[in-house]
Amino acid sequence: MNRIKRFSLVMLVLSAIAMSACKKEDDAAPAEENDEEIITDVKLIFTNSADKDDIVEARAQDPDGAGVQELKILDEINLDTSKTYVLTLEVMNNLTDPGESIGDEIEEENDEHQLYFSFSNDAFSNPLGDGNIDDYADDVRYNDTDANGNPVGLSTTWTTSSTPLTGGTFTIRLQHQPDIKSATSEATDGDTDFELTFVLNIN
Amino acid sequence: MAWPIFAFSQADSCTFSFDGKVVDIETKEPIPFVTIKLNGTDKFTHTNFEGDFHFDSLCTQNNTFSISCYGYCTSVCNQEHHDQLHPIFLNQQVTQLETVLLHVPKNEKTGTKTIAQVRIEKSEFNNNPAQSLASMMAEQEGVTFASTGSNVQLPVIHGLYGNRILILNNGLKHGFQNWGTDHAPEIDVSSANAITLIKGAAGVRYGPEALGGAIIIEPNPLHLNEPFYAKIGLGAETNGRGLSSKLAGGQGFKKWSYFINGNLTKIGDRHTSDYQLSNSGKEETSFGFGTRYHHKNWDIKIHYSNLNQKLALLRSAIAESGNAFVKAINSNEPTFITPFSYDINAPYQLTGHQLLKSEINWWYSDDAKLTFQVGKQVNNRKEYDVRRNIDKPIIDLDLLTSDYQLEWKHPSWFKLNGVLGLQAFVQDNDNNPGTGTSPFVPNYNTQRYSAYLIESRKFGKNTFEAGLRLDNENNNVRGRESNQSIFRDKYSFTNLSSSIGYVREISKNSSFRTNIGTAWRPPNMAELYSFGQHGFQSSFGLLRHTSNSENVLSTDRVIAMSESATQAEQGYKFINEFHTHKNKSTHTLSVYSHYIKNYIYDRPYAVIGTVRGPMPVFIYEQADAFFIGTDYSWKIDWTKQLSGNLGFSYLYSQNTSKNEALIKQAPVALHYQLIWKQAKFWFFESSKVSAKPSYTFQQYHAPQTISPEKLIDGSVLITPETEIFDFKDAPEGYFLIDLAWHFTWKNIEGSIAVNNVLNTSYRSYLNEMRYFVDEPGRNLLFSFNYLFKHTKDE
Repeated sequence: MNRIKRFSLVMLVLSAIAMSACKKEDDAAPAEENDEEIITDVKLIFTNSADKDDIVEARAQDPDGAGVQELKILDEINLDTSKTYVLTLEVMNNLTDPGESIGDEIEEENDEHQLYFSFSNDAFSNPLGDGNIDDYADDVRYNDTDANGNPVGLSTTWTTSSTPLTGGTFTIRLQHQPDIKSATSEATDGDTDFELTFVLNIN
Repeated sequence: MAWPIFAFSQADSCTFSFDGKVVDIETKEPIPFVTIKLNGTDKFTHTNFEGDFHFDSLCTQNNTFSISCYGYCTSVCNQEHHDQLHPIFLNQQVTQLETVLLHVPKNEKTGTKTIAQVRIEKSEFNNNPAQSLASMMAEQEGVTFASTGSNVQLPVIHGLYGNRILILNNGLKHGFQNWGTDHAPEIDVSSANAITLIKGAAGVRYGPEALGGAIIIEPNPLHLNEPFYAKIGLGAETNGRGLSSKLAGGQGFKKWSYFINGNLTKIGDRHTSDYQLSNSGKEETSFGFGTRYHHKNWDIKIHYSNLNQKLALLRSAIAESGNAFVKAINSNEPTFITPFSYDINAPYQLTGHQLLKSEINWWYSDDAKLTFQVGKQVNNRKEYDVRRNIDKPIIDLDLLTSDYQLEWKHPSWFKLNGVLGLQAFVQDNDNNPGTGTSPFVPNYNTQRYSAYLIESRKFGKNTFEAGLRLDNENNNVRGRESNQSIFRDKYSFTNLSSSIGYVREISKNSSFRTNIGTAWRPPNMAELYSFGQHGFQSSFGLLRHTSNSENVLSTDRVIAMSESATQAEQGYKFINEFHTHKNKSTHTLSVYSHYIKNYIYDRPYAVIGTVRGPMPVFIYEQADAFFIGTDYSWKIDWTKQLSGNLGFSYLYSQNTSKNEALIKQAPVALHYQLIWKQAKFWFFESSKVSAKPSYTFQQYHAPQTISPEKLIDGSVLITPETEIFDFKDAPEGYFLIDLAWHFTWKNIEGSIAVNNVLNTSYRSYLNEMRYFVDEPGRNLLFSFNYLFKHTKDE
């Protein structure tokens, strides 16, 4: 009987120790993460192709990223009639200090991303129409291509119409299309990284 | 069918007695003319037609009996060491009289005697090997399940789920990421031996999470003296082209026993009556083993189990732009339909759960015992979302849970029977680096120390039971804000809970139980700290949002617990159950009311503009809530072969602080099951055919609906004071029919079942995916188990 009791006691202690062996008590915070998902600031930069100093900018900001603060469109796009502009983008996460350029990352993964546009019908003389969000085959003048020869859209060219426009719209949508981007990818394929609608004025 | 059976002894010299009932292990039918012999003497008795026997004039309290009957194996019943009630099962043995086998299913657990409960035996849940714990429990009145798609299902008892229902697996609180409706308990139900469902507040016995009830999953009981057995099971289902296989085996010797089991499941994309549910497959592997050593008054058990799952979540639920969300919510068909596939793509979850436990029982005297349990659980969870970094998990957590429990069942003292328990519960949650996003829940360490005392006393046909419990919980939390700055907090809760209950055996056929219990629950980490996107929604915990004087919600800082008004939930549940069995009909009626102070819930708040487009936002809130409801079941044997079973459950709930409806509450449900039992038919030895029509009503007491379009275009303005709303109306009521045929043929036990026979298209209010898709359509399930029965020569 005594032997059994001793045996059981040993078992009990052993099992308790075995099960507590990997117990760890720490006070560590989660590791710092490089949050590539959050975009707080997007800036559209229209540069007159005939005059590098003639720049039109329009900004959109979501100051708290994943928080509940609403996205703010800070500027209207005010272009001149009958001019040709090159549109480039600045995409940032400014929650971190210093801010992080998400644009660089899009550039690195350009075979997975495409920008799509839609705008008030015939606001531009080139491209004509209303953009390629509704139909991917519609005309948009992409200046860049990925390794597969498909358009990216970090640089595009726009020639404004000679007819003035007030209170029109200009929408830019970045689609993330990992493994599905092709020459016929549509604006609804993949996932939307951002979609911003600005007021467009052409005077 | 009632087969409860009594065996108890009473003191005084040579006036000890022993009453019992002998039933067939498979059919549970009583066996008459069984010989019960007192070992070492020539005293014997026989069972009567009801299988009952009575042995009196015993001179000692502990006796060993041999129980035998021609055509059955002999059983040895050791009257010592078992709690008061034990049925004796005999195993059919056609050829020889031999083998010793004794099964002692557990009776009602101390501390829950007076609470309405249901026990489900293994034989009752064998027909669908791939079934989840929750969907299995949902066949009981008052229980349903909340889900996120087909793979993630959580049991709901009387309107409460998640952290308010304790899942006790193998004596330990299942240690998993128990928050949200998209994390299901990682438990392989097919390896369970029996499941007990406790419908009242069992917080005194089991601790904080048992506020709304408890589900107790019992592992293989590791019987001694059990001949070698092995079982191979194969299952298939047409919806999702699912396949599963399982293996179980074991043996019990005189002093020790063991079992092993394993399970493999693979299911592809399910489909509704109209379309494919793309990315809804599941992969699961599990294995476990256990061993027991028994010597005199010592008993030691060690269990290990390991489960790994890969669970797909519906692709079309993830709408990363508001337009897509609006489209997904408004369209009858999901936005993303691809042909059938077994592939699991993002979004999906990878979970792993391991449990190692040892339990030592020491009966140091005839009516007292000490139980010591120590357990370790490791839970790993990785969740992959549709996002830019698709190969990185968006959630990557390791949760380590340790349990230490000491329970003393004290000797009868002034006719009081009871237990005194001490528990230490320690959890350590860590975020693994490399998710590329701020952690959704922080790192934390929780330590909880508890003590409880439960006493019961019998006065003739009345039993009173009362309990007290003291919990002290300390939390240390470390997290990151979205700008990556660190936040820390420490807080603790101390709580005293109590319960009092009463059972009366009104007559031989009727009983009444009533119980008033208090229970509490500290808010969980997701309720406090969740921040940002998780699945299709963006949610904000109690400590992550504030509203300023203009009632504008902001989420710009983390609030310290000491500064916040957040409190632990306090529940008061009053449940009454009346049970009567007369003239082949059994009625069970339970009526309950439940008041929860500081009830925590998440509710749709807004659709908020982000650079990605509008995103549905949910916030956590706290308010007082009241639940009242009833469960009724009526079982009747129409003839010897045909029996019927009516079930009805009703729940009404209200947020009493704001006087408005609560969201995600179970609607009224009604079912009728007809069962035909056939002894011998064609070459099948026994068959059971059942048909079960059921109707689930629309949830009429649901919050108002405000469509996402109205939220996006700003035609409705929402503040934290706005009455609760939902993005979509509660789905309409639906009628379903399920059919099943179980049979035995030689060593094969099989079933063929059809769920949703009419291929009805419907949506369940408690499924998060109801915003986007229908429930699965018709499903044919096949299950075959081959049992290797031993024929041991002695």
